[in-house]
Amino acid sequence: MNAQFKQRRTRIGTLTFALVGLFALAMMRLLALVAFEGSRLDSLALNEHSGEEKLAAVRGPIVDRKGTPLALSVERRSVYAHPRQVLEDSTAAERAKLASVLQVSDRDLESDIRKPAPFVWLARRVEPAEAHAAEAVGIEGVGALSEYKRFYPESNLAASVVGLAGMDGQGLSGLELEYDKLVRGQPVELRVDHDALGHQICDTPLALKGPEPGAKLELTIDSSIQALAERELADEVATSGAKHGAAIVLDPFSGEVIAMANVNADPNNVHDRLRNAAVQDAFEPGSTMKGILASIALADGAINPNKQIYCENGAWMVDHRTIHDDSPHGWLDLANILEVSSNIGAAKIALSLGANRFYDGLKAFGLGAHTGIDLPGEAAGQLNKPNHWREIDLANHGFGQGVSVTPIQLAVAYAAIANGGLIVRPHIVRAAYDAEGNELVEHPAQVVRRAISPDVAHQMNLLLRNVVNGSDGTGRKAQVDGFLVAGKTGTAQMVNPENGSYFQNRHVSSFVGFLPADDPRLLILVVLYDVGHGHFGGLVAAPVFSQIAAGALRDLNIAPPTPTYDTASMIPLPKLEHPKRGVLAISDSDEILPVLTGKKLIKTTPDFSGMSLRRALEAAKSLKLTVDINGTGYVVAQEPSPGAPLNHATVKLELAPSTDVLPARASSRSRKVSRRLMARAGL
Amino acid sequence: MAFGIAPDRRIILHFDWTVFVLAIGLAAIGLVSVISASYGGHRLINPLVVRQVVWIGVGIVALLLVSLFDYRALQSYAYPFYVLVIGLLIAVMIAGHATGGSRRWINLGFFHLEPSEVAKLAVVLVMVRYLREEPPKGGWGLRQLIVPALLLGVPVALVLKQPDLGTGLILVLITATLIYVSGLNTRTMAILGIAAVLIAPLSWHYLKPYQRQRLVSFINPQADPLGSGYHIIQSEIAIGSGGPQGKGFLKGTQARLNFLPEQSTDFIFAVFAEEFGLFGSITLLVLYGALIARGAWIARHSRDRFGALLAVGITAIIFWQVAINIGMATGMLPVVGITLPLVSYGGSSLIAMMIAMGLLISINTRRFLF
Repeated sequence: MNAQFKQRRTRIGTLTFALVGLFALAMMRLLALVAFEGSRLDSLALNEHSGEEKLAAVRGPIVDRKGTPLALSVERRSVYAHPRQVLEDSTAAERAKLASVLQVSDRDLESDIRKPAPFVWLARRVEPAEAHAAEAVGIEGVGALSEYKRFYPESNLAASVVGLAGMDGQGLSGLELEYDKLVRGQPVELRVDHDALGHQICDTPLALKGPEPGAKLELTIDSSIQALAERELADEVATSGAKHGAAIVLDPFSGEVIAMANVNADPNNVHDRLRNAAVQDAFEPGSTMKGILASIALADGAINPNKQIYCENGAWMVDHRTIHDDSPHGWLDLANILEVSSNIGAAKIALSLGANRFYDGLKAFGLGAHTGIDLPGEAAGQLNKPNHWREIDLANHGFGQGVSVTPIQLAVAYAAIANGGLIVRPHIVRAAYDAEGNELVEHPAQVVRRAISPDVAHQMNLLLRNVVNGSDGTGRKAQVDGFLVAGKTGTAQMVNPENGSYFQNRHVSSFVGFLPADDPRLLILVVLYDVGHGHFGGLVAAPVFSQIAAGALRDLNIAPPTPTYDTASMIPLPKLEHPKRGVLAISDSDEILPVLTGKKLIKTTPDFSGMSLRRALEAAKSLKLTVDINGTGYVVAQEPSPGAPLNHATVKLELAPSTDVLPARASSRSRKVSRRLMARAGL
Repeated sequence: MAFGIAPDRRIILHFDWTVFVLAIGLAAIGLVSVISASYGGHRLINPLVVRQVVWIGVGIVALLLVSLFDYRALQSYAYPFYVLVIGLLIAVMIAGHATGGSRRWINLGFFHLEPSEVAKLAVVLVMVRYLREEPPKGGWGLRQLIVPALLLGVPVALVLKQPDLGTGLILVLITATLIYVSGLNTRTMAILGIAAVLIAPLSWHYLKPYQRQRLVSFINPQADPLGSGYHIIQSEIAIGSGGPQGKGFLKGTQARLNFLPEQSTDFIFAVFAEEFGLFGSITLLVLYGALIARGAWIARHSRDRFGALLAVGITAIIFWQVAINIGMATGMLPVVGITLPLVSYGGSSLIAMMIAMGLLISINTRRFLF
């Protein structure tokens, strides 16, 4: 008995010991599952019971400055299924019916719903009616979601600017890419829990929020001018035999891109949505460089505009290389050099300027750097450091060889001549608005730097008019009836990319100019790539300029000025439509009017004297003043007088025709006024 | 004092609170887990939960009644009870209620009785009844084990026929434990051990295809992750994704979204572990460990052989079920249908185990009455 009792107790003890071991084992196993495999098992759990479902946001529209839509999204429905649920809850007949509604074969549908996935698409982007019919078949687990399809109502208008959005609503090129984040909107990603049979459990709070529609982009582009530019450019590409062409229409003061056309001669990609040569491709500018050179030389003081330069009768050796002119010239002054576009004259000016000063001037004009335009893939062009320049390089740079620019760079550089010397940041999106109409993005006129002084700009303005109007001017075909045009032609040999030498009979011909020259509203650049010998810029590009300019002026209701007056005494004034937008850090003028401090309203009367009626009205509008106009022409007197306290917001202005009131004194005064106004506008 | 429901002060005085509290604690964990397992996202209380509450209540009453009862009286009821249970097992085969391919329940109208749960108690009782006789010197030999083998063989055969491999296995393990503790001859033990090792491979032939698949899946669950390996994978996912802290009460995704199979019964451990994490599941293990240790302690300190062996048998039921169930849930053992005692949903199992706990208390209390 006692022995038995003892043995029993021992054996119970042994078993207890064994069970402690087993429990320890179980605990270690639990620990291992949690500690070492926890994260793996956790992600398995997550994969198993939750899926991501994306509710697409509608992509915002892109409209031109007048509201004409260039890109829109339309709703389509996409039919999906939860395969396990469908298999459980539907009969083969119901599925066959679904297949016929969706116009797919029974076999395709069956293979879709036998996929081992919690979610499959059955048909994407179908008409809402078709999706509705599919849902109406009544199979549990089949549903439809909204997706959006992008389309371009104006067909290929501004295709290279607007760009392309992909199947899943992602921007691929152009503005669609650049502003993708804004335009795309906020899709809602739902984490949908579902049970083992694929039934959705919609108790996640996330499901309550709808997708946020994308922003509307309002462009600075004017569709009718864009269409005009594309049409005129396409015609010339066809007649001149160019491979492709680019044209830019810019507001020289604000940097707004009014039109940007790219036309390709290759019928396979006439309207290439993926490439925008006007921004992405650099070319050697050729003679259009001379206008920039002359500006730099004048600003530098390296050249006296009246000085005669000997042009070597058409051939001149520099560094054992010969520089040629198209026709031989003797002594020419700066105006003549630009007018006939003498390479030798330009080379001599460049040499007198010197490499460093020329280089600094080119940098100031924005060459070799991005303009900062809001389009993707902008090229910076090629501008080598001056310490690498040989004498011949310096000479060649003078007439636009050995340096390359993009069309937009060239346009912006000439816009500086047109606007009184300021490099502006070009932009193509004016503003972006959310679905409620709140402004999300606003692009004010942005000045990057001053390239040349207003005086030099004014001198250049006059010199460039001569290119178009002078009897020997290369740009005579750029003339526009009733308007003064200033501009410069360019015909550059193309560089052979294989060996760096120049093709003898392949050219890039261009014309860049602005008008009305006395009150520049439009800057237009036309470039024709790869034209044959003899297709000078003045012959092929200048007429396109003229056509686009004439049409654009009509569109913008800009009438020829009457009467004609001594335009030489006026320099262009900045636009004052949005004075608060002209935020600028530059103050190279110490003439600050006491009129405006910060954003406070005027307490003293501004000086209107010398302003044209249009300028005066614009200035008054921007300063929130009402004006009482008497007479026509230019302001000769005002009440209250400038600087006097302004008690009520009405100013009386006395106007008189310009010929009567613009002697030398008045003209210098008006220049002073304009400078003040620029300072006030922050320019 | 054969039927000792006499209000003896000492019964109250020496009531074994340890077993009682542990039993109530485990039943509470069980209730929480059943709520989690049956929670559909809307209502906490559903018919399943209500039934479990009722059974816990009935179980506690049964526990208290049994603990007042003199367990020695059972010696005379062991064989009749055994015969009754065999009858029920046969009845299940004829008129049983089938779910999921096996016949396990008898519909009593108000209650679905699962005789195989009761069979565990019956086998313990009848074995203890037989083994209470002192073994010959040196311990039980093969010849003395013929009767226990027959007593075991009948219910095991009936249970396997259902088929309920898990309960059959438990019956064998309980009996083996009892025979070992009651004094098995060392030589016989060696012979039986060798025989078991030799016979085991032959049993492969007698397994049903799904049972074979479970064994294959146990070795490589990924062989058929959506089929026979599904249980193990889902259980491991639930336990592992719970992490140390758990996902929180009613926040377990795997159970609630029905990825976890048999979640209120065989895999309730995974439900609990997912929501209460490693801390929760170790707490549960500690409670079981304490209960089993207490049962072993009662067995060791019982003065009479019948009581000691009965305590061993009851403790063995708990131990083997917990070990196999948790081993299965954590992927250490192949899948067999075995409930977690006192925790799993199910009236028969719960009430039978509560009665067993009452017996343990009774054994410990009576120690002081002799």
